[in-house]
This record gives sequence, C-alpha cells and structure tokens, in this order.
Amino acid sequence: MIALLVRSLPVLLEGLWVTFQLSLLAFALALTLGTIGATFRTVPFAPLNWIGTAYVEFFRNTPLLVQMFFAFFALPSLGITLPGFVAGFLALGVYTGAFMTEAIRAGVLAVSRGHIEAARSLGLSYFQTLRWIVLPQAFAITVPPVGNLTSAMVRNSSVASAIAVPELLYQARVLESRTFATYPIFITTGLLYLCLTIPIGWGVNWLERRLGRYRAS
Amino acid sequence: MNPLAAFCETTPALCAPEKWAIFLRPEIWEFLGRGLLITLRIALVAALASLFFGTLFALARSSGLRFLSLPATAYVEAFRALPVLFLIFFTFFAAARARLGLSAIDAATLALILYTTAVSAEIIRAGILSVDRGQREAARSLGLTYWGMMRYVVLPQAFRRIVPPQVGQLITLVKDTSLVGVLGINELAESGKLIYTSYFNPIQALLVVALIYFAINFTLSRLSRRLEAVPAERRRQREPALAPHTLPT
Repeated sequence: MIALLVRSLPVLLEGLWVTFQLSLLAFALALTLGTIGATFRTVPFAPLNWIGTAYVEFFRNTPLLVQMFFAFFALPSLGITLPGFVAGFLALGVYTGAFMTEAIRAGVLAVSRGHIEAARSLGLSYFQTLRWIVLPQAFAITVPPVGNLTSAMVRNSSVASAIAVPELLYQARVLESRTFATYPIFITTGLLYLCLTIPIGWGVNWLERRLGRYRAS
Repeated sequence: MNPLAAFCETTPALCAPEKWAIFLRPEIWEFLGRGLLITLRIALVAALASLFFGTLFALARSSGLRFLSLPATAYVEAFRALPVLFLIFFTFFAAARARLGLSAIDAATLALILYTTAVSAEIIRAGILSVDRGQREAARSLGLTYWGMMRYVVLPQAFRRIVPPQVGQLITLVKDTSLVGVLGINELAESGKLIYTSYFNPIQALLVVALIYFAINFTLSRLSRRLEAVPAERRRQREPALAPHTLPT
C-alpha cells in the first residue's frame, strides 16, 4: 500500500498542478468578466443592463457540465475547435464570472451615497473619494464572497475531467481503474483538494478580519 | 434580408433546419421528459434529506457540547470543501467495493446528500445565530427547556430567514444532478448527450437541455425573491428598527 501510494503520488501531483493552472486562469477570466459584468449592470444605460442581466441569469442557472460540453463538443460545429484544457478553463471562467458579477455589483452598490456626498463636501476630489472612501469599502464587502466563489471554482474545476482534461480527479479515476485501490487513491485525492480549498478559506478569513475596519456600520 | 437570415448565413451549423427537426418529434420530448423526471427525483430526495440532516448537524454544532459540536464541525468543514463530482465517484466506487448493493442512482444521490447536508448545516447554523440572544434568554427565563426553546422559539425564526439561501442551494443541487450522468444515469444532461451523439447536433441538443435547466432554476430564483419579500415585511413590523445592543455606548 505504501509502495502503491509512492507510485501514485507523482501522477496525482501532476493532476493537482493542472487543477491549479485551470483554476488560476479561470479565476483571472472570472474576475475580468465579473468586473465588466458588474459595470454593465450598474451603468445608467438600459441595453448594457440587459446584456449584463442576461449573462448572469443564463450562466448562473444552467449546469457547468452542460456549458463545458458546449465549449468542447458543440463549438467545433461552429468552426471553433478548442483543446480540452482551453474549453475547460473558458467554461469555468465564464460560469464563475456570472457569480462574480453579482458579488462585485453588491459591493459597489453597498457603498452609501451619503459617504460619497460627505467626502465630496469635505473637499476630497473625485479620485480621492474613490481611493479613500469608495474602493476600500467596496473591496471589503466584495472580498468574502469572491473568496468563497474562488474556493467553489477550484472544486468545480473537477468537472473538466468529464471532457478528459487530465486534472486531479481525472488522474485519480485513471489510477483507480488501473489499481482498484479505491480508498488510498480517493482519500489522497480528497486531501489534495482540501490542500487547495482550505487555505483559500483561511486567506478569506484573514482578509475579512483585516478589511473589517473599512466596513461601514 | 432580415437579421435572423443574415445571422444564419454566418453560422449555418446553428440554424440548419435538419438539426432542429428532431425536436418536432414527440418521442424526443418523451425521452427528455424521462430524463427530467430522474433529475427532479434525485434533486428532491437529496434536498429533503439534506434539510433533515443539515438541521441535525446545525443543532449539534451550536449545542455547545463538545462531543457533538466537534464531529459536526469536522464533517461540515471537510465535506463543504470537497468537489461534488469527487464525492459522486468516491461514493460509487466505495459502495461497489463494499458490496452494499447500491444502484448508481442511489450512490449518486447519497453523494449529493453528503455534500448538500454540509452546506445546509452551515446555512441553518447561520440562521440560528441570527436569532437575537434576547429571544433565547426570554424563552429560557419563561421556563422552556433547551429543546423547547430551540423547537418553539429559535428554529421557527431561523427557518424563515434562511429561505433565500436554501433555495439558492436547491438551484445548485439541481445543477449538480447533471454530474451524476458520469455514472451512466440517464438524467436530463445525459439524455441530451445521448441525443446529440445519435443525431450529431450538439449545439441544438445542448441549448435545449440548457433552456430546460434554466426554466426550472430561474423559476426557483424568482420564487425565492418573492418569499424573501414577505417575511422581511413581517419582520419589520415586529422588530424595532435598531436592536438595543447596536446603540452607541
């Protein structure tokens, strides 16, 4: 059993590395789309609001697996053929971006108008208001939900195993079917996932405590 | 040329009538309907079981008794942090190894229950903690036992407040049922996959399936917004605008 684990661990770590890359790229995409989406949803221009709302509602309410299948199996008929890894991180990023949009929008809307007016009447410039009043509060409000979404996204990256991306869960299944050592392999895999997701939780708690002082109320 | 025709000119694969034609046949809808029923059955069973077990875990975690709260906390923190698809495979393989005689559907449902119970427990615990301390103290000083206080004072208020996050979790659960297709269960997403592997129309089949999921989940989210509005109204009448402990001292 020890020998088995010693032989399996490098393969699982290789999978963990792919999971990490998948998550990191998807996180960048999700944060970008979330910022754009939140801007679309908050600007006073109706057509952009509709686009933002349609994006959020459609992608939040349909399964990630279906979106990933679409990116991998359906896009080729439209002339867009993507490797599994690219289809996986695009689908994961677009899916998570819909949730990020809502989290960021909530942060921006939560900054009280009174604070902005007070800052301006105290003589702060527009950028000073933004820098010292709006952004710290919006950031403090947005960090916990964005952190939780990131943790969920790392876990959701396992769905990419369904389109044969060689990430952690995929490698675990390959090893399991070769060795039939279900428990050692899956328990190690579970622990490796916890090694990614639990530190994110700690990081969020730490940031939440540090940013707590910026919170109004 | 009208805009739709112009659009179809650029993406013939999306508009091709022969790729959509199969959705005019009733047997395709019967097939999708059967998949949808499996999806809904798994989601319903998992949701009810998770609500029950989640309440038990939340009560254990907020009981203040270490021998109850420590294992409950460990369970919740571990299972919340694991991927659902991982739990589905693990439950399926482990059940097969242990010769429990569980079908693929049973194993997949069990995995969804294991995960959703952990999330539900956290939501319910947050609901319990949101009930004002004064309510507990008042209940205890009126002579209610701990369980009486929980049963008649704390939980009814907690449950009313957690409706929106619980519906949110139900939406997640409906989406997560699509993952059980990996075990060869013909739920909705897998039915869509079987359709496009036979008729070579992945765009059309996946769009139809996505729209069915969307119809269910969008309805649920609108429903939750409705439910949320009503208790908030009632609460405002009952509770003072500012709770005493938030007054500056």
